Amino acid sequence: MGAVEPSVAPPPDGTGAAERRRVVFPVVGMSCAACAARIQRQLTVTPGVRDAAVNFGTTKATVDVDGAAAGDLIAAVREAGYDVGSDTLTLAIADLRSAPDPSRLERAVAAVRGVLAAAANPAAEAVRVTYVPGFLDTRDLVTAVTDAGFVLSAAVSEGDPVERERLVREREVRDLSWKLLLAGVVALAAMVASMPLMAGEAVRGADLLARLLMPLDAALRGALPWLYAADPQSLKVGLFVATLPVMLWSGRGFYLSAWRGFQHRSADMNTLIGVGTAAAMLYSTAATFAPGLFTGAGLPADVYYEAVSSIIALILLGRLLESRARGRTTEAMRRLLGLAARTARVLREGGEFEVPIAEVVVGDIVLVRPGEKIPVDGVVRGGRTAVDESMLTGEATPVVRGPGDEVVGATVNTTGSITFEATRVGRDTALAQIVRLVEEAQGSRAPVQRLADRIAGVFVPVVMAVAIAAFVVWFDAGPSPALIYATVVLVSVLIIACPCAMGLATPTAIMVGTGRGAERGVLVKGGGALEAAAALDVIVLDKTGTITEGRPTVAELILSPGVAGQLDYGSPADPEGAVLQLAAAVENLSEHPLAAAVVRSARERGLEIPEATGFRAMEGRGASAKVAGRLVTVGSATFLIEQGVDIGPFTDAVDNLAARARTPVLVAVDGAPAGLLGLADPIKPSAVAAVRALKAMGLQVLLVTGDIRKVGIAVAGEVGIDEVESGMLPAGKVAIIRRLQAAGKRVAMVGDGINDAPALAAADVGLAIGTGTDVAIEAADVALMSGDLRAAVSALELSRATMRTIRQNLFWAFAYNVVGIPIAAGILYPVAGVLLSPIFASAAMAFSSVFVVTNSLRLRRFTPRLM
Amino acid sequence: MTAARVLVTVAGVLAIAWVLWYFLAPLGAGRAGRPR
Repeated sequence: MGAVEPSVAPPPDGTGAAERRRVVFPVVGMSCAACAARIQRQLTVTPGVRDAAVNFGTTKATVDVDGAAAGDLIAAVREAGYDVGSDTLTLAIADLRSAPDPSRLERAVAAVRGVLAAAANPAAEAVRVTYVPGFLDTRDLVTAVTDAGFVLSAAVSEGDPVERERLVREREVRDLSWKLLLAGVVALAAMVASMPLMAGEAVRGADLLARLLMPLDAALRGALPWLYAADPQSLKVGLFVATLPVMLWSGRGFYLSAWRGFQHRSADMNTLIGVGTAAAMLYSTAATFAPGLFTGAGLPADVYYEAVSSIIALILLGRLLESRARGRTTEAMRRLLGLAARTARVLREGGEFEVPIAEVVVGDIVLVRPGEKIPVDGVVRGGRTAVDESMLTGEATPVVRGPGDEVVGATVNTTGSITFEATRVGRDTALAQIVRLVEEAQGSRAPVQRLADRIAGVFVPVVMAVAIAAFVVWFDAGPSPALIYATVVLVSVLIIACPCAMGLATPTAIMVGTGRGAERGVLVKGGGALEAAAALDVIVLDKTGTITEGRPTVAELILSPGVAGQLDYGSPADPEGAVLQLAAAVENLSEHPLAAAVVRSARERGLEIPEATGFRAMEGRGASAKVAGRLVTVGSATFLIEQGVDIGPFTDAVDNLAARARTPVLVAVDGAPAGLLGLADPIKPSAVAAVRALKAMGLQVLLVTGDIRKVGIAVAGEVGIDEVESGMLPAGKVAIIRRLQAAGKRVAMVGDGINDAPALAAADVGLAIGTGTDVAIEAADVALMSGDLRAAVSALELSRATMRTIRQNLFWAFAYNVVGIPIAAGILYPVAGVLLSPIFASAAMAFSSVFVVTNSLRLRRFTPRLM
Repeated sequence: MTAARVLVTVAGVLAIAWVLWYFLAPLGAGRAGRPR
């Protein structure tokens, strides 16, 4: 265990200058969606930033940097009145104790991008590094230490980001809990103590809450007679003293945020809470210490301390529930990361050592026993086993992996032992990339969010205007004592109108939706993709690899009559083998998937593949080369005709093959037709159900293929697609998508190969299916980890469910305000004689946020209908 | 009370105008792309 040479990650590639990249880093101090919008605005105007998105839900900023330095971004966040979250790690330095100048090392480390501070501790032979997660590349640290002439005695590892997040959340929950406890206790005590003060006051008769409390008042009078005997003035002073710490400590965050917003001329929910409670507090303080002002004007000197404490308590309660719910929304991420193995068994210097996976380097030979997790990505060197890759693809059946096959970290080895060579470790593994993708998607903003943000920015000032107007109307035209009524109404309107439910509506749904998708093998690359995927008209499916398995085989071989005699190659007893051999020799140099099928089939027959020279290929159509002194041409019928080959004898056979969904490939030797291969690519069993489901969703389904028309029509017929575009080169697929888009259609494209990448990028939503190539995944908006076409259906269903949730959330958040504000303003008073107490208003507000978050969490139970 | 009402009404209208100007004006300026 661990008795191994410390291994250090390889040095960086040396590129670090003005580059385009995306950084994701934590932001602290946000208390609502408007804070996020404010930071986002500040980041966006920072020079060298192309785009920025700040997500209140994940408390993370995602910035597309184009030249801006880490310091610029940190400065921008601070300028907006917030700060970036930092973390610490410890570098273990060999012989630091005896180093002459540890401060040189400190300076070198502090200069690394993303590092805020470095403190060397020679006694512990360690350097404590404070850094901003997302900016720091640990490889830069390694280089800095090495360049400064020091040697690391252990590998550098950043803390587990999910664990870090959990700790931050825990701290937040603990902090909120204590603040809530104080506010809650004071609020309860204040309510009890206010009973004698409000007893018998006619003015309170209109208040809903006071009406509910009347029976309580009678009971309390019996239970605590001394309270009713106490001097009212002393009670008021006592309440003032108890309320002060609630405002200054429990409610501190609201006032600070409100003030920061005010300085930047932006108003948010904190402004409403801050102004509302401050108004109630000022009024009460005046009534306590200068009652003469009120009594002189014939008004009772009423106090509202209980309202201040309970409003703060209820809002903190809402925040607490919300914070815990937000913690649950990142559960999917935690589960993903939890999949990774903790240690790996590596073979070094002839011995077997168990090391933490952070210490595995590229080139290590790793040993995996049955039942163990594969720790990192690599290529099998020895042994054969079945691997459960369901975490990656969603497919439950284990796949056989032997020498030369790739294995992926976090998948489970089931039956045999294997050794493999590590090819990707750390943040390069497939799992790490998935996690990063999900993280970025969760932190991204859907276009619908921008609308919500803009509305919230206008909403708060308008509410403040409404509150002032209500105050004036009540003061001028309301019943006596007008000042009290007007104040109650002012505070209630400000409190009930908090737009926090609006701010939470979109990000929580996107977070839960993308997280749930990741669990089901559907990786959505952002809110924009999710929104686009929910509103599609046409879905374009690629044939090879999407509808078919993508592993064509030579199913038929037809020889031209008399070729056996003319060919004079290979064994005379096996003319078929000779033709296949010659074709395979040419195709061996081609990269076309059909070419691979020809080569494979020759190998499966035990045929040797001869050397070919002078290879020439025509993209997607055919190729020719010299083999054993003969000019061999392999390709489609049109290609051979172009090459001057008379394919007359095969015309009927070509049509016949195509009608049975088999791709005809002709072989000519020295300009004369020699044989015809029929390549079959089996249709995926799930494709029929998937196409039916796509049609049921109201989508127009279109098949595109590079194959000839007849094969395309045959395949389309088998899976139930009516529209086919055949003979398509990559540019042709893009043209079809552009044409549909020009006709006002919103188009999705599903494909897997490098040749589909341009179409995937051109479509409104590109879905890369299966174990698709990296290029396809890069170009796509949605990556489907399984090769099952039904996963595409799931992705669209998930998008629709998420957008539905967002719309519901926005609807309820607005509806609540539309109903709540007029009631708080007293519109029911002339009709029913009912007013809303500020305490009721704050409870309603807290409820609306919790409702929205809970509604989003329902997406966690989303299950696609087909899978 | 009439004087008080007039005072409160005038102050209220001024306050509303100021709140709207103070918070909404920057939004418009931002959209126009002027430096803040």
